[in-house]
Amino acid sequence: MLVSGPVWADAAGDDAYLKELIRQARETRLSEQRYWHLLLHYRQDLTGGYTSEVDDPGFFLAPNGKTSPQAELEATLAKFFSDELVGRSRQSAQCAFLARYQWLKSQLAIDDRRLPPQRCERFQSWLAEMNAQSITVIFASAFMNNPSSMFGHTFLRVDRKGQTEQTRLLDYTIHYAAQVTTESQIAFVVLGVFGGFKGYFSALPYYIKVQEYRDLENRDIWEYRLNLSEDQITRLLMHTWELDNAYFDYFFFKENCSYHILSLLEVADPRLHLTDQFVAWTIPADTVRVITEQPDLVIDIAYRPSRSTQIRRKRELLSHHEDRLLLRLIETPAVAEREPFASLLPDRQAFVLDLASDYLLHRLATDPEPSAAARDLQHSLLVTRSRLATASPETTIAPFTQRPELGHKTSRVGLGSGWRQDEFFEELSVRAGYHDLLDPEIGYTPGAQIEVMSFNFRHYNRRDQTRLERFKLVDIVSLSPMDSLFKPASWKISAGYDTVNRADCRYCGNVNVNGGVGAAAETRWLRHEMYFAFAELDANYSHAFDENHRVGGGGTVGWLADLTERWKILLSTTYLRYPLGEDSDDWRFSFQQRFTLHKDLALRLEFNHWDRHDNEAVLSVQVYF
Amino acid sequence: MTRKLVLLQVAVALVCLSATMPLAAMNPDTGPGCGIGKIAWADYRHQKNILPQSLMATTNVAFSNTIGITFGVSGCTNDGKFMAEQKATMFAEINFENLSQEMAQGQGEHLASLATLLGVPAEHHAEFFAMTQERYTSLIQSGETTPVAMLKALNAAIAGHPVLAQFSNNR
Repeated sequence: MLVSGPVWADAAGDDAYLKELIRQARETRLSEQRYWHLLLHYRQDLTGGYTSEVDDPGFFLAPNGKTSPQAELEATLAKFFSDELVGRSRQSAQCAFLARYQWLKSQLAIDDRRLPPQRCERFQSWLAEMNAQSITVIFASAFMNNPSSMFGHTFLRVDRKGQTEQTRLLDYTIHYAAQVTTESQIAFVVLGVFGGFKGYFSALPYYIKVQEYRDLENRDIWEYRLNLSEDQITRLLMHTWELDNAYFDYFFFKENCSYHILSLLEVADPRLHLTDQFVAWTIPADTVRVITEQPDLVIDIAYRPSRSTQIRRKRELLSHHEDRLLLRLIETPAVAEREPFASLLPDRQAFVLDLASDYLLHRLATDPEPSAAARDLQHSLLVTRSRLATASPETTIAPFTQRPELGHKTSRVGLGSGWRQDEFFEELSVRAGYHDLLDPEIGYTPGAQIEVMSFNFRHYNRRDQTRLERFKLVDIVSLSPMDSLFKPASWKISAGYDTVNRADCRYCGNVNVNGGVGAAAETRWLRHEMYFAFAELDANYSHAFDENHRVGGGGTVGWLADLTERWKILLSTTYLRYPLGEDSDDWRFSFQQRFTLHKDLALRLEFNHWDRHDNEAVLSVQVYF
Repeated sequence: MTRKLVLLQVAVALVCLSATMPLAAMNPDTGPGCGIGKIAWADYRHQKNILPQSLMATTNVAFSNTIGITFGVSGCTNDGKFMAEQKATMFAEINFENLSQEMAQGQGEHLASLATLLGVPAEHHAEFFAMTQERYTSLIQSGETTPVAMLKALNAAIAGHPVLAQFSNNR
């Protein structure tokens, strides 16, 4: 690639050759080609013009490069003749924008004698360090206790040559993330949604990411190895190198990690049209779906269970007796030295000890200030374990949640019909995203509900009135089952608009905010059942109430059960007492069920009761799209 | 976590300062080399400290905003052996708890990765695993053993091992 020879070029010669290249580029309309647009991240806007998604001025070599593909192409060619340092990475243009250089060189058949190639040693040593064999898309599943990762996360892993599956941890990753510049949580959300942060690419060892997601946050990881050729991988890496000169304004809903990862794949193989499929928002699970839908793109899928999944699955393999020993062992390691533990077979001893140390590792990793005592406990267990001098029994850990692309699509529309109090109605419901407790659970975190921008429109027949019956801005529920080892809290929060029905105010709008903290448990008697209870606060604003509002608190208990593979029910009751505003209380009951007809088609039958007299029944068919 | 990352920061800072200076003299363009790497790691520690389970800490938050900071990029390396040692040190610092467990179990992916970083080829990992399990109490003497001390003990054990000695860095 690097040809060194006598360089005769002088300023006049450079100028002549540059003019020639520009003329050639204009004739072939090079700046209109998709690949140039991919490299510069140009998007066509409504007027037909182009604007780059990159917001770092240093990424462009022409002053109007952000909006002019042609000017940028010409300025780029001009800079290739110079060794002036450009961009944030401070390299010559040929090295800083290596993918552009290579592409233009091939398109224009650039003559090395008239435009001598420069040595890009930094890139070469970086490329050697990456030592790429293949590229893998990594999906880290949802983490409910962090708003920025509730929908999951994706990044790329550069699989090194000569690795075994056992040493994948040493690979590098390519990761896009916002650089957060505030410590205020409210500012974080606002800036994150509206592009107030800058997003950068970074390359970190995979072991850091695995530790963060799998060990600290307990998120299952799915790995999708891609079928890319050596040339395609090199193009992807060259462009990644270029992006060291770029930042993008970070938009949580659309231009997020997953979106920009797709754009890298398009550079690798421009026949792929991946980012076009995302107009308003980019949900990581949807990007995985798009990638797996491309013919022959994904060649292998691997599962890396989170630490808590490993512990829970391994525990299922314990006898009752062993489980009791486990619970004692994590408090008192000396239990391992005595009967009855000592009379277990060596491989069972190893299994129980491994599980105990898994749990202590989990506790050390999730405790912000682990004590010396906790470390000593782990150390004594491990010393005992090492003396067994036996290998850990092979266990295959099955996921609790299937792969994300197998789940229902993330938007939903429903058509229904029902009866409220004494009137029939027809209903149209539309939900932007993403999943509620009753939606088919495959591919989604069990017990995790995130509903965003959900609308229910109704036409009441007798009154001949059409109205917005219900609107949910957000409605999030996180049910995390407790057991004898794990004690996570469950919580919920919602904000929206609904309809109250009173004698003096029929079908009155009501703005509602609700939040609660609680606990959940699960069993697997039928298939999978979850039980939950919340203490909650509830605030309402409506003309239906005296003083136009009522604010109070109460509690909810509920039961969520898969009766068959397709049929799921949710039963719940809530009592709320309102001391502020209209002094009142409310008992609510709800019985809802869903029957899955197909991955993206379900039937729902709901019965709801509130305010002592207000009853509602709805039957609807729901399509996910 | 905290202590580990402080150590890590120091380790990375030392690597880069000592390696960057002579190189910087030869080539003023060391770009986003190790100096920034140090800062990136400082940020990482910082974020983990302040709000571990909350908004700031994770996924969509960058603590390193450059692609060019990897081992082996100019400014960080001109000596293969020195670099290999630093890689092993950083790996051991970050994964110390997982490594301790896998050494006691005599297997695991962290242990296999460390073996690779220490120059033990995959076909001899089994011997390496068996050795860490057998000599566990001398490699990790208490919950307070530091990753650096553990690595030192491990290197000495490799050097004294009938099969693994041929891959030792201590020769």
